[in-house]
Amino acid sequence: MQKNQTLCFRGKCIVTCLYGRVEVMGFTIDEGQKSYPLFSPASHCPLTLRALGHTDYVRDDRTEASNILEDYLSAAASRKKLVKKVTPTSSIILLDPLDTPLTRFLSSFTHLSELFSPPVSELMSTVLDTPLNGLGVIPLASNIEGLKISRSCRDALSTVINACKGDIDGCAVILVYGVKNVGKSTFIRILINTLLNHTSNVDYLEGDLGQTEFTPPGCLCLSTVKEPLLGPPFTHQVTPDHMIYYGQSSCETDLDGYLESLKSLWRRRPQSREIPVIINTMGWVKGFGFQLLVDLIRFLPVTHVVQLSHGVSTQCSSLTPDFLRTAQGYQTHPTTQTALDEFTESHCPPKTYTHLHVQSEFEGVARQGTATHQRSNEHRELLLLGYLSQLQSDDSGPVRPLHTLTPYQVPNTAVALGVIHCEVAPSHMFYAVNASLVGLCCLAEKVTSKGGPVILSQATLCPCVGFGVLRGIDTARGLYFLLTPVDPSVLRKVNCLLLGAISLPSCILTEQPGFESEMPYVTADYSFDLTGAGKIRVFKGLMRPMYQNTHFL
Amino acid sequence: SAMKKSSSEKRRHVVAWVNKAEWDQVLDYLYSKDPALQRFALQRVSAWRGRYAHNTPVAVDCTADLVRCQVLDRSGQLNGDDLVLLYGAALVRFVNLITERQQGRKARPLRRLAGKLNIPEWVVDLRHDFTHKKLPTLKWCRKGCKVVLEWLQQEYWSRQLGGGADEDWESDSDGEEEDAELKRQESNLLSRQREMEAFKATRDILISYESERYQSLDGPQEDRALAPLADMSWLLGEIKQLSLDSSDLLVDVLLEDGFLVPTVEQLETLGCDPFETPGSSEPRVPQPVLRFWLPLLKMLNSPSFIHLLLEKLFVELKVATAEQTDLRVFYLSAWASEVLLCNSNKFEFRFERKTQKKARMKDRIFMNRIQLRWQQLLSACLDAPCGSTPHLLQLILDDMEHPLPQDTQQKLLQLCSIYTQTPAVEFSLPRDQKHQPIYTLESLHEKRRQQLRHSGERSESSGDLQRMDVLTEKAKVLRGSPWQVCSDKVLWKNFPLGKVPGQSDDPSSLMVETYSAMTVCEQPVEMESSRGQNAPGVPGPARAAEGLIWNQSDVNRLKCGLKLF
Repeated sequence: MQKNQTLCFRGKCIVTCLYGRVEVMGFTIDEGQKSYPLFSPASHCPLTLRALGHTDYVRDDRTEASNILEDYLSAAASRKKLVKKVTPTSSIILLDPLDTPLTRFLSSFTHLSELFSPPVSELMSTVLDTPLNGLGVIPLASNIEGLKISRSCRDALSTVINACKGDIDGCAVILVYGVKNVGKSTFIRILINTLLNHTSNVDYLEGDLGQTEFTPPGCLCLSTVKEPLLGPPFTHQVTPDHMIYYGQSSCETDLDGYLESLKSLWRRRPQSREIPVIINTMGWVKGFGFQLLVDLIRFLPVTHVVQLSHGVSTQCSSLTPDFLRTAQGYQTHPTTQTALDEFTESHCPPKTYTHLHVQSEFEGVARQGTATHQRSNEHRELLLLGYLSQLQSDDSGPVRPLHTLTPYQVPNTAVALGVIHCEVAPSHMFYAVNASLVGLCCLAEKVTSKGGPVILSQATLCPCVGFGVLRGIDTARGLYFLLTPVDPSVLRKVNCLLLGAISLPSCILTEQPGFESEMPYVTADYSFDLTGAGKIRVFKGLMRPMYQNTHFL
Repeated sequence: SAMKKSSSEKRRHVVAWVNKAEWDQVLDYLYSKDPALQRFALQRVSAWRGRYAHNTPVAVDCTADLVRCQVLDRSGQLNGDDLVLLYGAALVRFVNLITERQQGRKARPLRRLAGKLNIPEWVVDLRHDFTHKKLPTLKWCRKGCKVVLEWLQQEYWSRQLGGGADEDWESDSDGEEEDAELKRQESNLLSRQREMEAFKATRDILISYESERYQSLDGPQEDRALAPLADMSWLLGEIKQLSLDSSDLLVDVLLEDGFLVPTVEQLETLGCDPFETPGSSEPRVPQPVLRFWLPLLKMLNSPSFIHLLLEKLFVELKVATAEQTDLRVFYLSAWASEVLLCNSNKFEFRFERKTQKKARMKDRIFMNRIQLRWQQLLSACLDAPCGSTPHLLQLILDDMEHPLPQDTQQKLLQLCSIYTQTPAVEFSLPRDQKHQPIYTLESLHEKRRQQLRHSGERSESSGDLQRMDVLTEKAKVLRGSPWQVCSDKVLWKNFPLGKVPGQSDDPSSLMVETYSAMTVCEQPVEMESSRGQNAPGVPGPARAAEGLIWNQSDVNRLKCGLKLF
């Protein structure tokens, strides 16, 4: 690739930079650096590889390139041909096919078989018939922009990077907010990747329950990021340092619980740590959602607040230090001059931080994707499948469906069982949790039974170490059978299973091979044509007669 | 031809009940009039809500809410005013939620929507009274509840699980479904009719072409294949126009039996032996058949038409292979092969004599190389595996503008010959690779048997053993905790998720008879209590700089942390 040349693509591959320097999603890969997996599925904005060219020093480009290539290109003729095109600013990258337990697991489901192919909207722009196609990369023509980084975004990134490089005391704490679908998580991925060019670790506090980055949805967590994020969240599910299972994909049912959870996660972070922290927030910027943001900025020692917006109107007020002084929070209130406040202020001067405004300009901004794989419920399903793919072994054998795996077992007297999102009668509890996704949690209290299973009368927010599928319940022997990728050394400590409103992807149940007829919880006879057969349907933007023919049209 | 797929397999959906028996039980109990049974059913519906999260069917939710009102009413624990409020909430929710799906983009009056659904008008009025007027009397509430429950039973419960079409929870279809559905059906019918007419017209033209050609066969030998006869030019013009208007249709008809795929009678008329050819792995179209169609094909040879023809040839080939219609398989692959050969620039032709070349060119559909979408053809070809696939695959691979890496080509061809179980194909490979064996299923079996004998393993494959090791390792780590790796000798693959060995299909099998309730102090999350300086209840160092020092939940936490000796 010549300097500034780009490769925007769909598919997946492993990239190695053999010569020169390239950049993906804000992360730069130098020659000789290790290989990285790239994922560009149809569910998200396509990835773009950009050649940066080598840094300034003079080198004998051709001979060096030729030497490097010797290991990879055995045919002297083709090596010579390639070397001929090398200039001092060229980059040579090696793309290898990428095949992991994750990709194998995903492609075992019929509706995901085309996940790594271009979506319909891009079919006219695909460049087929290139040698890359064979290894799983489909280049897109230049009319597909890929990720567009706006000027304001670039400025914000450099401000933050400079701050982290030492412009401020202590570490940078960067809170990012903005309305749903404005590109918060994309911005955060670029920000983390850019930071990783300068530092080996970045801390991440998850505050977006619906679009989580490292965990299944419905979780709040504190993670240390060491590897660049070169794909959408479902491709980098990792075990966080600390996690709380909130059990819902939005926070409005329990605002206090949401704030308390985030505060408690923050307290888990060693205060001496000198690495930058990124805080992601819900895309809820109105009413109570906005008040929660005010609280978070007051509770956490933020140094930078990044506001993302699109179009001409900002979607909510700018949370500048000035604005914050008089803003009403959900748990906090604007300062009033009392003796108490004077007392506290003598310890902590009023909050100051840098407020940055980023204008999002990528295609489809603020629109919920409607194409296949792009709706938010599909993203949540992918997150869960990404998590459950960790149950597959690393060897490249065939995919093993969940039900074929050997489960763990635990007496139902030794672990407590609870439901987070609704009230279920204890005697009917097993009907709710059987074959469901459960959070594996650690209660501080000891769990003891006076006979029979232990049922939590009210579920609480407690530390969660991961998730499992309650594969079955042996009522006669009093055993739960559980499938989980959680490490056994951690599983030992689990004494509570929590059911939340995050359901198992339906394909996990409907696509169990080997069963012709009856499978529990699966039917082909349910008719959605009957009135009332569907879920509660929330109408967004229903027009009342009086608004017709006005600006809504 | 039999192109339509039978849609016999209905889509599977995830529901909250383990099986039909559980559904039937809940339905029975809900409508039993026995408060104890109704309570049981309500509790089960609460478990269903737990499973469904936010996807509980509206009808189930509404039924449960209304039955709850009846149960509380009959319990005699609440007075009339209490009950009116309860009934009110359940009835308002019913009318609003059940009509929600009928709403289009514009809000429409509830009365009209409810009327469409056969909900009595006075039920809608009752709702209106609850929300905007004086509260209705208990008597009207009871009556409303009874009528709505009957409506739900009739419209939802008794019709459900008896079959029906499918629409997903997730799919956000628009309102005005009925109208749209009617219109859709109408326009479908119309377009199908038009399609049929066009199809027939195309067929007729091609049949005219055929009869013209048969007539010319009786003419002097020389004319057979060469310049189209004068009286055919009009016909060819027609066909050309057709190909511009609807090339799809034209190709479809061409690939019907009796056109590019000749019938036995047609072959006999052309002097070919219909039973000689099939089965060949490198099929070619017999010269008489080729020449029969050449005038037409030569006129249609635009790149887009050729590409379409190739694609459809492969699609049809797939169908024909599945149906094992040998003659069809042969001719479809022969035509594909013929077209691909026209495109190839094999250098063996470079040294041929002029007359040879002329003879060869005479029988080609087109002369100049066409840029095809090779990647798509490659997939289409691999999608239609049959005896001649390795040959066709080779032709495509050889002809690609950007050829795949040699070893990928080789692997593809090998895989392909294994899959189709054809004898070894000649690959255009470097000499040293040429002697590598072509794997067949048998040879792989044999190789594996040998390997197993060598490593001394008997029953279990190495993968299984490896997995056993992992499980033993896990079991070791878990020792001393209540958790274990399940060591029962169970073939888990025989048990779908949610089912364990010995579990009965009785819907009561998961009831919890005795249980221990555990109450956890409603405390904000405290992680493992490893941090000494952070005793529960003491605010962390990152305390808010502004606003209240302790909010309500902090105070709760403090209270929780207090220990009184």
